[in-house]
Amino acid sequence: MLLSMDKLFLRFVSVFYPLLAKTGVDTIQLNEILRVKLLLDNRRPKAMFATKRGANGSVTNKSPWFIIFGTVVMGVFIGLVLFLNKMPYVGETYYFLIFMVLMTLTLISDFTTVLIDTRDQFILLPRPINDRTIAVSRIMHISIYVLRLALLQGAPALVMVGFLDGIMAVPIFFIQILEATFLSIFFVNIIYLLLMNSVSPQRFKDIISYFQIGFSVLIFAAYYLLPRLINVSVLGNISLLSHWWAYCLPPVWIAALNELLIHPGRSNTVTSLLAIIGLTLPVVGLWLVAKVLAPGFNRRLSVIATSDGNSNTLTEIKKAKRFSLIEKISNLVAPDPVENAGFRITWKLSARTREFKMKVYPAFAYVPIYFIYIVFSGKDESFSDRLDKLQHGHNYILLIYLCSFILTTILSNISMSEKYKSSWVYYALPIDNPGKILSGMFKAVVTLYFLPLCLVFSVIIVSFWGPQAINDVILAFLVSLIYGILIALFMVKGLPFSKPVVNKQGGGKVITSLLMMAFIGAIGVGHYFLMRWEMVIWIAIIPAFLIVWIMLKQYKKQSWESIEMADL
Amino acid sequence: MSETPLIQIRNLSKSYGDKLVLKNLSLDIYPGQVIGYIGPNGAGKSTTVKILTGLIPDFEGEVIVDGINMAKDPLGIKKLFGYVPENAEIYDVLTPMEYLDFIGRLYGMDETTLHDRIKRLLTAFSLGTNADDRMDTFSKGMKQKVLLISGIIHNPKIIILDEPLSGLDANAVIMIKELILRLSKEGKTIFYCSHMMDVVEKVSDRILLINKGEIIADGTFESLKQNHSDTLERIFSKLTGREDQANEADAIINAFD
Repeated sequence: MLLSMDKLFLRFVSVFYPLLAKTGVDTIQLNEILRVKLLLDNRRPKAMFATKRGANGSVTNKSPWFIIFGTVVMGVFIGLVLFLNKMPYVGETYYFLIFMVLMTLTLISDFTTVLIDTRDQFILLPRPINDRTIAVSRIMHISIYVLRLALLQGAPALVMVGFLDGIMAVPIFFIQILEATFLSIFFVNIIYLLLMNSVSPQRFKDIISYFQIGFSVLIFAAYYLLPRLINVSVLGNISLLSHWWAYCLPPVWIAALNELLIHPGRSNTVTSLLAIIGLTLPVVGLWLVAKVLAPGFNRRLSVIATSDGNSNTLTEIKKAKRFSLIEKISNLVAPDPVENAGFRITWKLSARTREFKMKVYPAFAYVPIYFIYIVFSGKDESFSDRLDKLQHGHNYILLIYLCSFILTTILSNISMSEKYKSSWVYYALPIDNPGKILSGMFKAVVTLYFLPLCLVFSVIIVSFWGPQAINDVILAFLVSLIYGILIALFMVKGLPFSKPVVNKQGGGKVITSLLMMAFIGAIGVGHYFLMRWEMVIWIAIIPAFLIVWIMLKQYKKQSWESIEMADL
Repeated sequence: MSETPLIQIRNLSKSYGDKLVLKNLSLDIYPGQVIGYIGPNGAGKSTTVKILTGLIPDFEGEVIVDGINMAKDPLGIKKLFGYVPENAEIYDVLTPMEYLDFIGRLYGMDETTLHDRIKRLLTAFSLGTNADDRMDTFSKGMKQKVLLISGIIHNPKIIILDEPLSGLDANAVIMIKELILRLSKEGKTIFYCSHMMDVVEKVSDRILLINKGEIIADGTFESLKQNHSDTLERIFSKLTGREDQANEADAIINAFD
C-alpha cells in the first residue's frame, strides 16, 4: 500500500516537471532520484527486522502503521481546535498555527538524517547532475514525505470542517492544507540555510540533534502540562484578530481563504488580500527555494558530509583536562582494571554517541515534568494553595523515585548502538568475566547520570522542605539503585553498545519490567508511610545499603552464558 | 600519445582551515595513460581525487579536462569521468540491477542499452545470478564489483579508481589488473590510487608520488628505478623520507623491554 501511494505521489509531482524544467532542472534525473529515494525509504529496515540488520543505514524506530495511527490521532486533537471559536476564521487560524508548527518541527527533527545522507556525496555528486536538480530532488523528496504526513494529519480536520462549514469548505480546506504544508517546507529551508551559514558543519549536526531533543521534550511537556496550567476555554475567547500584528502570521493568510469563499458576507478587502497572499506565497516560496536558495544549500550540505573527520582534533584536546576528574572518580569507583575499562568505555561512548543522547537526554526533562504533573493534578485550587500544600506534604520523595525512570531509560539503551559491530573486541579479548564490564557500565551510568541528577534534586528538596528530608533522599536513592540493578540484571543482556538497535521488547521482558515497576512502587509507598518516623528511615538505610552492596557484588559475577551476543 | 593533455591541473591548492593539503599542484595527463597515484596517508591523494570528481567544489587553481574548465562546467567534466570511490558507499537496500539502472539513468542512458549492458557486465563480473538480490546481503568484494561496474557503466573517457581492489579475492584482482590494461588499450585514461605498490608497479605506465601536498616524483616505473631504487616500495619509502623503517621496527621491539 505504501508503495502504490508513492507512485501516486510521483505522478502528482510530475505535474510540476515542465515548470521545473524551465528553471534548469533535469526532470528525467529528478524523477529517477525521487523514485529511488522513495524506494530506499520503504526499504529502510523496520523495527521488526532490526535484529538482523542495522549496522548501516538509519533504522526507523516505529513501524509505519503505528506512525500512521499516531499521526491521525494527533490530527483529531488538532482538529478539535476548529471548534474552539464560533468564528471559523479564528478557529482555522489556530488550527493552521498548530499544524504548521508541528509540521516544521517534525520536518527538522525527523527528516534531517534523510536529508544529510552522506552516501549521496559519493553516489550522486560524481554524476553529471546539476546542483539545482539535486537540491530540487531533496525538496521534492521532503515534500512527498511531508504531503503524506500532511494528508494523514489533516484528514480528521477535513471531515470536521465539512460538519462545521458545509461540504463546500472541504475542497477549500484541502487547498489550505497544501498551502500550510508548502509554507512549512519553505520555512524549514530558511532555517536550514540560516543555520548552515552561521555555524560550522559539526555544530550544525549537534544543533539539529538538540533541536530534536528539545522538540520531544516540548511535545511531552505540552501534552502533560498545558491542560493543567491553562484553561482551554480562555483561548477560545481571545479575539486574536483584533490585534494588527496577527495579520503578519501566515496561518491567518491561510485561514482567510475559507473566510473569503465560504463566508463572503463577513470578508472585506483585507481578507481577500490575505487570501491571495496565502495562495501565492507557497508557490513563490518554492520557486525561491529552487532558484535562489538551492545552489548554496547544496554546497553547504556537501561540506557537512565531507568535513566530518577534519574538525574534531582541536576540541578533543581542550576537553581532556576537564575529564581528568571523571577519570579519578572512575579509578575510585571501579578499581578493577576490567571493570574500570567498562566504566570508561560507557562514559566515553555515551557522551559521544549522538543516537544515545537523543534517546536519553529527553528523559532528564521528563522527570520534573512528571513531578509537576502528578503534584499539580488537583483541579479546583489556586496555584499558591497547591504550592502551600506541597511544602507541607511529603511528596518530595516522589521526585527521587521518579529519577529511577532515568535509570530505566539509560539502561535499556546502553547496550544498543548502530555501530555495534565494534564490540568484537569484547569477544576477541581474553575477558574471563564479562560481569566486570557490566558492573563498570552500571557504575558509570549511576555516577555520571543518575547521581548528579539526584544531587540536584536533593539540593532543591532540602532547601525547599528542610534538612529532615535528607534521610528520605538517601533511602530513596538506595532503593532506586536496587531497582536499577534489578533492571540491569533482567533487562540488559548485552555489553555496553554491543547490540543492534531494536525497539520492540519481547513480551516476557515487558512483564518483568512491569513487575519491577510494581516492586519499586510498593517500596515507595511503604517509604511514604514510614516517613513520619525519622529514625525508622535512618535505620532502613543500613539494610538498603547492604543489599545494594551485595547485589553489586553478585552482578559483577555474571558469566558469558548470561550475555546475549549479536551476530557480528 | 597525443600532444594536448586530457587533464590539465594548474596551481591547484586546497586548504582545510589553516592546513594546506595541496600546494600549487600542476599536472598534465595525456589520453590513454594509466596513472598510478601513490603517496602516504594524508598526503593529499584523496583530496586531489575529490576535486577531480567534483566532490570538493571549492579550490584554488585551475582544472581543465578535455578542454572543459572545472569552474565553469563541472557537469561536462563529470560526464567524462567514471569514479569508483574508496569507501564503499552504496544504497545497499537496492539490488545491483536497481542500483545500476539508477546510476545509468542519471547519466542519461537509454534504457535498452543500459539494461543490456548491466546484464552483460554483471555476468562478466560473475554476479549474474545475484542481479536481483539486495546488496545488504553481499560480501565486501561483491559490493566492490558493483561499484566498479557503476564506475564504467556509461563508458567514460577517464576512469578514477580509488583503492579498487579492497575486499576482492585473488581471481578478481587478476581480472581487474587485466581489465585496466585492456581499458587503456581502448584509449581510456585511468587514474589509479592505491597503497598496494606491487599492483601500481605492474599496471601503471606513469607513476605520480605525492607527499605533503606536492608531487615529488613523476615518471615511468623504469625511470624512477634508475634514479632511486629497485622496487616501488623502496622508492616510495626513500622519497617520502621514511628510510629508517628498520629503526622504527627496532623501536617497536624495544618498547616491550
